[in-house]
Amino acid sequence: MADLHIDGVVKSFGETQVLKGISLDIRHGEFIALVGPSGCGKSTLLRIIAGLESQSAGDIVIAGRSVAGVRAADRNLSMVFQSYALYPHLSVADNIAVPLRMRTMGAVQRLPLVGRWMPGAAERNREIDAEVRKAASTLEIETLLDRKPGQLSGGQRQRVALGRALVRDPAAFLLDEPLSNLDAKLRVQTRGEIAELHRRLGATFIYVTHDQVEAMTMSSRIAVMMEGQILQCDAPDLVYEDPEDIRVAEFIGSPKINILPAELNGGSLRVLDRDIARLTRVADQPGIRLGLRPEALRLSGADSVLTGVVAHHENLGSEVFAQIEVPGLSERVVLRADPSARRRLGLGATVGLDFDIGDALLFDTSGKRLRPVIEAARAAHQVA
Amino acid sequence: MAVTEIPVAAPAARSVEASQRRTGWFLTAPAITLMGLILLGPVLVALVLSFTDYALGNSGFNWVGLENYEKLFTRSTYEKMFVATFTYVVTVVPLSVGLGLGAALLITSVGRFRDLYKTIYFLPVMATLLAMAIAWEFMLHPTIGMVNRTIEMGCGTFLEAIWPFMAQGCEGGFPLWLGDQRYAIWVVCFVGIWQGFGFNMVLYLAGLTSVHRELYHAAEMDGARSAWERFRLVTWPALGPTTVFVVTISCIRAFQVFDTIEAFWPQGAGPNKSAYVMMFAIFEKGVQQNLIGIGSAITVVFLGFVMFLTLIQRWLVERKVHYG
Repeated sequence: MADLHIDGVVKSFGETQVLKGISLDIRHGEFIALVGPSGCGKSTLLRIIAGLESQSAGDIVIAGRSVAGVRAADRNLSMVFQSYALYPHLSVADNIAVPLRMRTMGAVQRLPLVGRWMPGAAERNREIDAEVRKAASTLEIETLLDRKPGQLSGGQRQRVALGRALVRDPAAFLLDEPLSNLDAKLRVQTRGEIAELHRRLGATFIYVTHDQVEAMTMSSRIAVMMEGQILQCDAPDLVYEDPEDIRVAEFIGSPKINILPAELNGGSLRVLDRDIARLTRVADQPGIRLGLRPEALRLSGADSVLTGVVAHHENLGSEVFAQIEVPGLSERVVLRADPSARRRLGLGATVGLDFDIGDALLFDTSGKRLRPVIEAARAAHQVA
Repeated sequence: MAVTEIPVAAPAARSVEASQRRTGWFLTAPAITLMGLILLGPVLVALVLSFTDYALGNSGFNWVGLENYEKLFTRSTYEKMFVATFTYVVTVVPLSVGLGLGAALLITSVGRFRDLYKTIYFLPVMATLLAMAIAWEFMLHPTIGMVNRTIEMGCGTFLEAIWPFMAQGCEGGFPLWLGDQRYAIWVVCFVGIWQGFGFNMVLYLAGLTSVHRELYHAAEMDGARSAWERFRLVTWPALGPTTVFVVTISCIRAFQVFDTIEAFWPQGAGPNKSAYVMMFAIFEKGVQQNLIGIGSAITVVFLGFVMFLTLIQRWLVERKVHYG
C-alpha cells in the first residue's frame, strides 16, 4: 500500500504520440478512475503503470521508488483484465492461488506431482489454501472454488479475477474496464460491490473505463483523459459541476450538456442575438460557448431566449428528458424536467426555456473555461 | 376440447418422429454405404483373411486359425519388425513433436523473417519423400557422401581428442550409415524427424494463435518472471488440444513409415532387416510374396495399434484438455 506518482509519462508508437506527458499523483487508498473515449490512451497508461508496456519518457514512482526498468512481476501491483484472463485449465481455487504460488514458493516446490513432497511445500500449500478461502469468502465465491472458468457465468468470472487480484497485498489494484463484459443489470450491481470492496480494503484502486457513469459512481477522483492528456482530475461532483474544459463538460454527464454559441461584446453576453447578462473581468471575444446542463434549464413562457418545438421526449418515470428544436441552433437542446411537466412537453408543443446565468458554464474559443464575474444577470425571459 | 385433442395429437407426433427418422436414415445412407464399402468392408475382409492361407490367384483357401498370428509373435523376423517399428515411433514422435513446438515458439517470438523460417521448415513436408530419400542416400554415401566428408574435416583437430566417435572414425573409417545395421534405423528416424517436424510446427503455429495475449500479461502480473514459467502457466495448457492431435497424428504417421525404407533398401529393409517396419512387412508379405494371410494378420495388428491410439486421443480430448 503506497502512494503512486506518475511524472510526465510520454508514450509514442512510431510517429504517433498516444500519451503526451501525463502527470498524476495518487494518494494511498484513493479510487482513481481514468475515464475517456476509446483511443484516448487510458488503457496504455494503465499498462505502463503495470509495467506491461514501457513509456517513451517520464517516470512512475511507487512508494517513493522509481519503477523504471522494474518488470511488471516485481512492481507488486495487481491487475484485473477486461477479458478477466483466467487460466482456463485451472480451477477457481488454483486460479486465485497462482499469484501466491508464483511469489512464495520455489520453482522446485511448484513442480507438478513431485513438488508437493518438497520440504516446506505442504505447509506453504496449507497457508495458500487458507488465503484463497479468505479471498473467496470476501467475494462470496466459496461454492465455486472447484469449478473451471469455462463453467462460470460472466459475473462469476469477474469475481474470480478480482479474487486473484486481492489474494495478495499489492501496492495498488489496476482495473482495466472490468465491467464492460457484463450485462447492464449486473454491471450496476458489481459497480456497487467494487466500490464497497475498495472501502473495505482501503487500498489504492486505479480504474480504467470509458463509461462516465462508472467513473462518477465509484471513484474518489476522476481523471478525464482525451487525446493523450489528462484534462482534469477532480472529485466526481467537481468534474461535473465545474469542468475546466468544454471536452470534459461534454464527456461527463448524460444526457450531454447543451452547448450554445454566444458572444461577448463590451461585457455583455449575447445568446441568439439577445443580451442575457453583463460580465466583468473578462476580455471581449466572439465565438465563446455557453454550457447548460439539462437540469439547469426550466420551462418558462413563450418569449424566452430559447424558444422551440419539442422534437422528442423520453419519459424515464422519475424524470422526463425532452429534446427541443430551437431555431438558430444546430443541435437540439435537452431539458430535464419533472414528470409533472409531461403534459406541457407533448411532441410539437412550443415551449420556452429559462435558466440562471449562474448555472451556465462559459468556455472560450479554445474550449477553456471562463470564470467571469457576473455583474448583472438578467433572467432570459426578462429580456425585451 | 383440450382433453379430447391429446390422443389425436400423440399419434400424429409419433408419425412425424418416425418419418423424420426415416428421412435421417435415407439422407445418411450414401455416406454409410460408402463407408461400409471402402472402409469397414476391406477391414473385415482383412480380418477374415488373416485366419487363412489365401494367396492371390488361388481358387480357394484353408482356414489356419491363429497360425498367422502365432508366427507374428514367435518368429525372429517379426520380432525385428516390432523392434524396428517401435524404435521408429518412440524416437520420431517425441522428437518431431518437440522440435515442431520449439520451432513454432521460436518463429512466433521473432519479429522479422517469420514467413521465411516457416517456409524453410515446411519445405521437407512438401517435398516428395521418395526424392528426398534418394538425396539423403547420396549425402550418406560412405566415401563420396557429403556427411562423411564433412565429418572427415574434423580429423586432426581437437575434436579427435574430445569425441571418441571422431577418433575411431579417423582411424578406421566413418560409418557406412545405410549399410550398417547399428545405424540404419537411426538414419531412417533422422529422415523421419527432418521430414515431419515442419508439419507439427504448422499445427502448433495455428494452436499458438489461439492463445489469448492477455493471459501472458496476467501471468506476468501474477509473478511469472521467466519465459519457462509463462510457458508452463499459459502456453502449454492452451496448446493441450493441439498437442493431443499432433501426437496422435505423428504416431499414426510414424506407424505408417514406408517410403524412406523402400527408397533406401528396396529389397531388404535395411542391413539384417534392421529397418523392417510394419508397413514394409505388409508390403513385402502381402504384395511381393503374395502371402495374403500373413500380410492381413500384420495389417490387423497395425490397425489395432492405430485404433488404440485414436481411442486414447478421443479420451484425452474429452476428459483432459477440453476446458469448456
